[in-house]
Amino acid sequence: MKRAISFLLIPVFLLLSGCGVQQAQEQFFTMDTVMSVTVYGKGAEETASAARQVVETLNGVLSRTDGNSLISQLNAHAGDGTAVELDGDTLELLTFAQRMARLLPGDFDITIAPVMDAWGFTGEERHVPEEETLAQALALVDSEKLLLDEAAGTARLEEAGMAVDLGSIAKGYAAARAEEVLREAGITSALLDLGRNITLIGSKPDGTSWRVGIADPQDDSQSLCVLSLEDQTASTSGGYERWFEEDGVRYHHIIDPKTGYPASSGLLSVTVISPDHLLADALSTALFVAGPETAMELWRSRTDFELVLCTDQGQLLVTEGLEAGFEFRGEEQGYGYQIVRR
Amino acid sequence: MATRSSAADRRRPTPGDLLVVLAVAAAAVALLLALRQESGNFLTASVVLDGETIAQYDLAALTGPVTLEVDGALYPLTIQAEPGRIRILESSCPGQDCVHTGWASQAGQQIICLPNRLVISLEGRIPGDIDAVTG
Repeated sequence: MKRAISFLLIPVFLLLSGCGVQQAQEQFFTMDTVMSVTVYGKGAEETASAARQVVETLNGVLSRTDGNSLISQLNAHAGDGTAVELDGDTLELLTFAQRMARLLPGDFDITIAPVMDAWGFTGEERHVPEEETLAQALALVDSEKLLLDEAAGTARLEEAGMAVDLGSIAKGYAAARAEEVLREAGITSALLDLGRNITLIGSKPDGTSWRVGIADPQDDSQSLCVLSLEDQTASTSGGYERWFEEDGVRYHHIIDPKTGYPASSGLLSVTVISPDHLLADALSTALFVAGPETAMELWRSRTDFELVLCTDQGQLLVTEGLEAGFEFRGEEQGYGYQIVRR
Repeated sequence: MATRSSAADRRRPTPGDLLVVLAVAAAAVALLLALRQESGNFLTASVVLDGETIAQYDLAALTGPVTLEVDGALYPLTIQAEPGRIRILESSCPGQDCVHTGWASQAGQQIICLPNRLVISLEGRIPGDIDAVTG
């Protein structure tokens, strides 16, 4: 009887403790976006705060609008021959960025900064640049002229006027660093929303997978689909995030390094899902520029990421690795979908 | 003389013990149900300017449109709420990304004006909801 009573009590305590999982959330502005870190489990509050701190510290190193950052120093010394001493984070990111530029030549380049400036996407006044201004800026875009010396821990930009902008990869790197902090503290359930790049640590506190919606590029209040995910990042790039209109034409902020104009590859958005947070972030931008054929070609050659492409014809192309956890939500908005197989 | 022993001395639980167990279990279930009902259908929009909540709207309970002029922002803006939805109607910020976002009507959705450090967050509970949105 006593044993029977004990067994009766166990589920009661489990139910009660289920209500009491510690939870903490930090929301903050950094890296030119809004971020939130939601942590579950013991020590949630301190760990969420530590994760926030590591992201904010990184911003101080990687931002090119912060005059004191290492990236600002690198840009300030462009063309003057000075090899700028960097820290491990910055060097790792620059090395990765150069590798990406070689993987997808012409589709990804962190030395795009002068062109972004010409369009006014960095400052306050967005505008279509004069042709000559754009041509001059575009001539400065070349990742091979970013000279890295990994042994010495230094980098330099070969030509005056060149500049590096890590906007397309900094959030992915931040997610990886924040995950380290969370894992070290023993956290096994957390959700990082770093400017709508979603990183999932473990599963939800109840043990089920996280449910991540992909926004409809044409109506932010609707989702194209919902994905069930654990231990991965879902990163999306689309031309609908930042744009302006001039003379009735819409211009968005993802610039094609080949042309200097907003990318126009037949895609409305690209979502990359990968356990490698940095890769997910970089590829979403690069493949938005590259277009659906190159994106699928790259996917077929590797096994470390999956894709949801939203084409300008209203079709979702979903790679087969996502099929099991894929829930289509775009029917009412007129979208269709197909599963792409290897 | 037979005396009533303390619970610690007794080897077998009494029917009274079982009653206590059932009462605790019933209380736990009642608490769970109460918590579930509390988080039933609602849709609230919170307007947070630079970390400070400046307005809250129960969008589900609104009966007509309301507007909020946020003159204290770096780039003054106007927020418009209607039954079930909210948007930034106009803003003097340079990029206009917040205005381009349009209406927000789903729990979990956010409208953000970065230059103003302003966030409008929608909270609520919808069956089969999602944990986060990428895009």
